[in-house]
Amino acid sequence: MLRKLMISSCLAVVALSGNAYADSSTKVALVPGGPHPYFAAWEQAGADAAKDFGLGSAEYKVPQKWELSMQNQMLESLVTQGYNAFLIFPGDPVGTVAIANELADTGAPVMALAGCLKDPSDALFCMGTDTGNSAYLGTKELLTKLAGGKGKKIAHFTGFLVDPNTQLRIDAVNKAAVEAGAEVIQVIADIDAPEPAEEKINAYLAAHAKDVDGIITTAWVPAVVASNALRKIGDKRIVMVGIDHDKVVIQAIKDGFVHGTMLQNPYGQGYIGSFAADKLRSGCKVKADAPFKTNALTNKFIDSGTVFAGINEADNYVASMQKITKTLLASFEKTYLSC
Amino acid sequence: MNNTTKAADRTADAFGPDVQETSSQHPAMRLLLTNEFGLIALILVFAVLFTLLNPGFVSKFSLFAMGRTAAVNIMIGFSMMVVIITGGLNLSVGSIGVCAAMAAGWLMQSLGLPWYLSLVGGLGVGGALGALNGIVIVRSGLHSFIITLASMSIFFGVMIFLTHAGSFREIAPEVVAPGRMKFFGVISPLLLITFVVAGLLSVLFRFTATGRQMLAVGASPQAAELSGIRVQRMTVWCHALSGVLAGVAGLMLVSRTGAAIPSMAGQLGQDWLLPAFLGPVLGGTLLTGGRASVLGTLLGAFLVTMLTTGLLLLQIAAFWVQTYLGLLLLVAVLMDLLRRSYLARKKLV
Amino acid sequence: MNSQLANYRESDWFGPLLITVAAIVIVSVFNPEFLSPYNLQILLLAIAVNALIALSQMMIIAIGQMNLSVGAIGGLAAISFGGMMEVWLIPWPVAALLALGIGLFAGIANGVLVAWTGISAFVITLASLSIFKGINLGITEAQPFYKIPEIVKLLGNETFLGPLPWLILPTVVVAVGLWYLLSFLPLGRFILAVGGNAHSAELSGISVAKTVVAAHAISGLLAAMAGIMLVGRLQLGQPTIGDDWLILSFAAPVIGGAVLTGGKVSVAGTLLGVTIVVIINQVLVLFNIDPFLVQVVLGGLILWAVGVNRWREVRAQKTEKRLAA
Repeated sequence: MLRKLMISSCLAVVALSGNAYADSSTKVALVPGGPHPYFAAWEQAGADAAKDFGLGSAEYKVPQKWELSMQNQMLESLVTQGYNAFLIFPGDPVGTVAIANELADTGAPVMALAGCLKDPSDALFCMGTDTGNSAYLGTKELLTKLAGGKGKKIAHFTGFLVDPNTQLRIDAVNKAAVEAGAEVIQVIADIDAPEPAEEKINAYLAAHAKDVDGIITTAWVPAVVASNALRKIGDKRIVMVGIDHDKVVIQAIKDGFVHGTMLQNPYGQGYIGSFAADKLRSGCKVKADAPFKTNALTNKFIDSGTVFAGINEADNYVASMQKITKTLLASFEKTYLSC
Repeated sequence: MNNTTKAADRTADAFGPDVQETSSQHPAMRLLLTNEFGLIALILVFAVLFTLLNPGFVSKFSLFAMGRTAAVNIMIGFSMMVVIITGGLNLSVGSIGVCAAMAAGWLMQSLGLPWYLSLVGGLGVGGALGALNGIVIVRSGLHSFIITLASMSIFFGVMIFLTHAGSFREIAPEVVAPGRMKFFGVISPLLLITFVVAGLLSVLFRFTATGRQMLAVGASPQAAELSGIRVQRMTVWCHALSGVLAGVAGLMLVSRTGAAIPSMAGQLGQDWLLPAFLGPVLGGTLLTGGRASVLGTLLGAFLVTMLTTGLLLLQIAAFWVQTYLGLLLLVAVLMDLLRRSYLARKKLV
Repeated sequence: MNSQLANYRESDWFGPLLITVAAIVIVSVFNPEFLSPYNLQILLLAIAVNALIALSQMMIIAIGQMNLSVGAIGGLAAISFGGMMEVWLIPWPVAALLALGIGLFAGIANGVLVAWTGISAFVITLASLSIFKGINLGITEAQPFYKIPEIVKLLGNETFLGPLPWLILPTVVVAVGLWYLLSFLPLGRFILAVGGNAHSAELSGISVAKTVVAAHAISGLLAAMAGIMLVGRLQLGQPTIGDDWLILSFAAPVIGGAVLTGGKVSVAGTLLGVTIVVIINQVLVLFNIDPFLVQVVLGGLILWAVGVNRWREVRAQKTEKRLAA
């Protein structure tokens, strides 16, 4: 009965479900690393989960700046406010471990969401995108489009180097390129902010547009800026694969300037994460033999879904992510938890 | 418009001639007029306010967390303060702090040195980088702003190049323990370290010749030169001290996070810039140099940490917190101004 | 003729000019693409916006203060501009004017608070930075505004007369206007006098308070203008616009010879300072510097730029002394 309701209530708002459960005392906090459009779906996901599963609350709490200390202070204040389950995007895979462990010590279930903490940590698991693998798959898509990629030259635009994930992405792109016999001729990093991205990407295309066959972007802002830049110079020869679901990128895919984008599943992360948090607070345990995957950071990884969206998927990517979320949720309790 | 300049004179230097003249007759008045007293008053007012609005504000965990955060912010403030007193700036505090932390982590993990030697090594790196700043500033005659702007980029860049953004996690338990330890469930050892450093700095500026010479250099380099102080050497010393203090702050964060990570002060160490300036400026250290208030910096940094924590606890819509923080900061400095003008007026009556 | 040349050599902007020319020559020898029309357009676009940011800060440096809220004002104006067009469907020229008004108001608020309370501008603008950025985040919840009219996008990216982008026009007007203001108008003289020595300015009958408010008003207006232009250039009302301005806003005027204690600024020097920074940023891309070394090279080049300028100054002083002796 319980499971049935759960499945049917997934995503679609089921009016009755709110009444079907007694309000639990679970207060989930969904805490991103800072203000960023990627996490916007968490707010709705938390609210939906709270309603669908009868949580006390599941709230989206955003640190005002993208700073580790700001996130730490926010998390500490949430403890004082009585939040008792935490879904955290780690400001730094290593740097956030200490605070996550402290939160776990208060008895609250702590999970890394969207990005992982580096093992060892007291986080129960990490549900999100395997950043390295997503970059690898994106590069593969790009090279496939480039007739297999042999001898092709690609450029890689990515985020801040202080974020260890950036190194993982650089390695993954290089690996995919080497495998296909292509060459990464330039990496431009530290441009996950609009002004530097605009300056550097345009300067790069101005000087090297004719030398490059493909572009892979592995951070939000560079994907947006590069999409616009390609539209501006009207170049459909250069094949580009972006990341995430910014409207600019999606539109550029529809208009043929961008080949496709590597989507992630922030809504599903927030929704399933909140569900799991409540289960874990009401006596469930993470199975010792749960079929976790392994990535560069952790061996307790759950893939929340990474899919490539090309021109055919650009219109209905939301539906395809929802499908993944449904599938994941339907078997989540059975697969990962013992209650 | 005359009012405005009077106000300007009054706050630009709380120890201006007119204040001092009368206040020498009223020792109590002089105390009430100090920046430090104002900050204590503000801290008390806001502490009561926050506690009334959310009793959780004074819970053991909350106090502990606030003290621990404040400890680092205060130390960062000190690091900037000792350069501000020379009339200069040090934009590379964050960069140096991270470099020192990473150096200590490397010594511990890769070279396997004992923890105390590693810490000394980290502080040494901090001091050396600071001294390097000082030497280049003195030799080139360029403003410290531009030199430390460039060195912020260079120090951080070399660190990122050497580590490839990797972190050091094999930190000795002796170093990690203080980051989580609680005395009486409330006091973080990190806060005690900060108090000790504050004490040492007070002694330096109040009772030692070196400290007084540093202040003299900031007040007027020419006059200091004429009275036989080696201005250049003092400037280098101040920058070296700034580097050491930035290193202490960095190592405190290592203890707090249990690892030496490149991102602990953000891209180029920029995250530290605001706390670095906030403490000293609120605490009454003049940006033009020549005056330092160790206690003021400590209280100023604490006030800001407290306001942030308090606001986070009030459950304001998450995206508006920053607006309220700005408004509170403004209210705080205006209240301080009101206090001063009230006292000044009362004195005149 | 000779003395005129000497005059030029003594001016603030001569050193930065030499550095700019040297940089252009060196870069274009190694990479001829640097002078291609498209690259020039990219350069000018970057300069157009960054110059306004730097000039916005320069006005406050002129009165011997700092404005930490330049980026926050720019960001707030940018998202207001985007938001008014998307949500309220206001025509773009009206939205631009209103957004400029917001910037002007923000600047005046800064100025009035500084002048009226006498609290250091550093503290006031730090608080207002937080307020403006907070309002920005509160309105947008970190989501960009996307519906930017085509005409705005065109103005932000199209060119006239070869490589000249439309965005360069407002910047040129502002630069000439500020130069005229600082060189010939009473307000400009007041600003520099207040920056040089507020006390003696007051004694000579200048209203320090009014001057401070005026300088902050101009600063706010220019910051808003830069924000609005960036919306056109990025084709998005990004809430993060302005987050990265602070360092550039100080570096460019200082490279251009401005004195941080006030009273001495140069519009031409600041423009050249911006150009140097923009060229340095391009060089890092053009020469495919290892991304892990970019920051080191950037710092080194900034040191080189100011070092050359300083070396020239020192030599000029020595020559002067020799001539005097």
